[in-house]
Amino acid sequence: MIYLPIAEMPVAVLLILLVSGVVGFVSGLVGVGGGFIMTPALLFLGVPAPVAVATGASQIAATSFSGIMTQTRRKAVDWRMGMLLSVGGIVGSSIGVALFERLLRLGQLDLIVSLLYLLLLSSVGFLMVRESYRFWRGRPAKSVSVLRRPLKTVAHNLPFRMRFPRSGLYISVLPPLGLGFAIGAISAIMGIGGGFIVIPAMIYLLRMPTNVVIGTSQFQVLVISSLIVVLQSIATHTVDLVLALLLMAGGVVGAQIGARVGAGIKAEYVRGILGVLLVAASIKFLFDLVVPPDEIYVLGAGLW
Amino acid sequence: MVKRLLAAFAFVLLAGAPASAQQQQQQEQQRQPGSDVADDLPAGVAEEQITVSSTYGGSYITVFGVNPDRRGRGDIVVVLRGPNEPATVMRKSRAFGIGNAFGLWVNGDPVRFSEAPAFFAVLSNRPLRDIASPESIWRYQLDPAASAQLASAVPAGGDPSAYRAALVRLRREQGLYQWYATPPREGVRGGLTAYRGGLFRAVVRLPANAPIAQYHADTYLFRDGRLISRQRIPITIARIGVERTIHDLATNVSWLYGIVTVLLALLAGWGSAVLFRRP
Repeated sequence: MIYLPIAEMPVAVLLILLVSGVVGFVSGLVGVGGGFIMTPALLFLGVPAPVAVATGASQIAATSFSGIMTQTRRKAVDWRMGMLLSVGGIVGSSIGVALFERLLRLGQLDLIVSLLYLLLLSSVGFLMVRESYRFWRGRPAKSVSVLRRPLKTVAHNLPFRMRFPRSGLYISVLPPLGLGFAIGAISAIMGIGGGFIVIPAMIYLLRMPTNVVIGTSQFQVLVISSLIVVLQSIATHTVDLVLALLLMAGGVVGAQIGARVGAGIKAEYVRGILGVLLVAASIKFLFDLVVPPDEIYVLGAGLW
Repeated sequence: MVKRLLAAFAFVLLAGAPASAQQQQQQEQQRQPGSDVADDLPAGVAEEQITVSSTYGGSYITVFGVNPDRRGRGDIVVVLRGPNEPATVMRKSRAFGIGNAFGLWVNGDPVRFSEAPAFFAVLSNRPLRDIASPESIWRYQLDPAASAQLASAVPAGGDPSAYRAALVRLRREQGLYQWYATPPREGVRGGLTAYRGGLFRAVVRLPANAPIAQYHADTYLFRDGRLISRQRIPITIARIGVERTIHDLATNVSWLYGIVTVLLALLAGWGSAVLFRRP
């Protein structure tokens, strides 16, 4: 057992390492960031929602930095696009942290976090299960590169266009700024990196080549999550350094093992299983929100 | 044998107490002029300073004392109080529903308390209501509900006493409000034991989630429902070592704390990338 200085609760070290290791393993196996599994896992372990969300951001920063080092060597980061996404993200996450603090004071943070997770886990889980099912039936979804080239999206028609040599694009700066803003705000409130939202948006909305999307999104995730850690430390004092170190240790090791194991397994099947788990977790969130509680009174945060 | 040891221990504790007891007495007299309650109850605490380190998992607090009545008449009540802090109690209600059949349970109707004890344990060797009159319980705040000050109006249709009761019930479930009316039993280490000769010993379990702050152990002597004598002893709970450094950094220089956390995250990420680099 170790006493968490900010959460002000004792936790079992091995349990936290095990949970963060498993989450890291799954994220490495499937190729997702893992924030959207880590935060609910911490909530289920009894860590208060504000601490779980704010502390999770530091673990996301660690994972994304590790990823960027690999992607940089492969020259798979579009820095210009990443900067633009980050500028939007800085504004979005600042507003997100302010909103987080306001919701915490109003006593509505847990509700909003639960609702957002309900939406997120059920939709992502459903998509994963569907993709896996199609693959199993021998009808894989059309490959992205086939869809990509000929089409033009709204990003190509808006004003303030700019060249992105690494991605081979000439598009408006507004969609990347807006995308960064939205992801920044969601990240701050939910404790997720948002890579699994940014990556499809980059491919379908901005038409970026698939080889640079992962590195570029990791860059944006790193900037935003680092900023969120600092802002949460100042605004809500909910970043727990000891918990963060445990999550980082378990998470990065688990992710590396997961990535090794994942190389030998068909990703579609793993995604199918993960999808089922996510749908199950979202049902649990729904259940907690809908079933009449035994106790209708709750203690709010003492701050007002 | 045990009794003699306890008596000796209590004596040692009490020998060190008079200075602070005198200060306390002066304060009490300033607050309540003409009070007929004496401040001569000899009592002491085994743990005047509790330290919170990274292995902290809660603690026990032991209060010793002697009934000053030579014939041992009256009942001892020991109260361990945490700091008074603001609190909010909310009531869940259905929202976004279709009629009354379905809907999300949403926190609403907040009621604020300007102060409520963050920790409260009351110990006696028989039920409190048999020892003190309801007026005394309220006046001397021997019940956490008596210390909870409502600071906002209760919403329409709400009952102030229901909110007060909910605050007490919820804190009780968290182990922050405790009642003991018996000596320690099998499986329960907390309680108040009265020994022959007037010596008493009260043990309280302080859970790990109790706030880290200044506490007070108050000892009362009641006879025929009236307060005869009392004593107040401060107990300090404080972080030490790494816990203290981290907490001070996080509260006093929070921007630096945030940056340090980010740098450690980068270090962890870099370390794992280097350690697990693929050929």
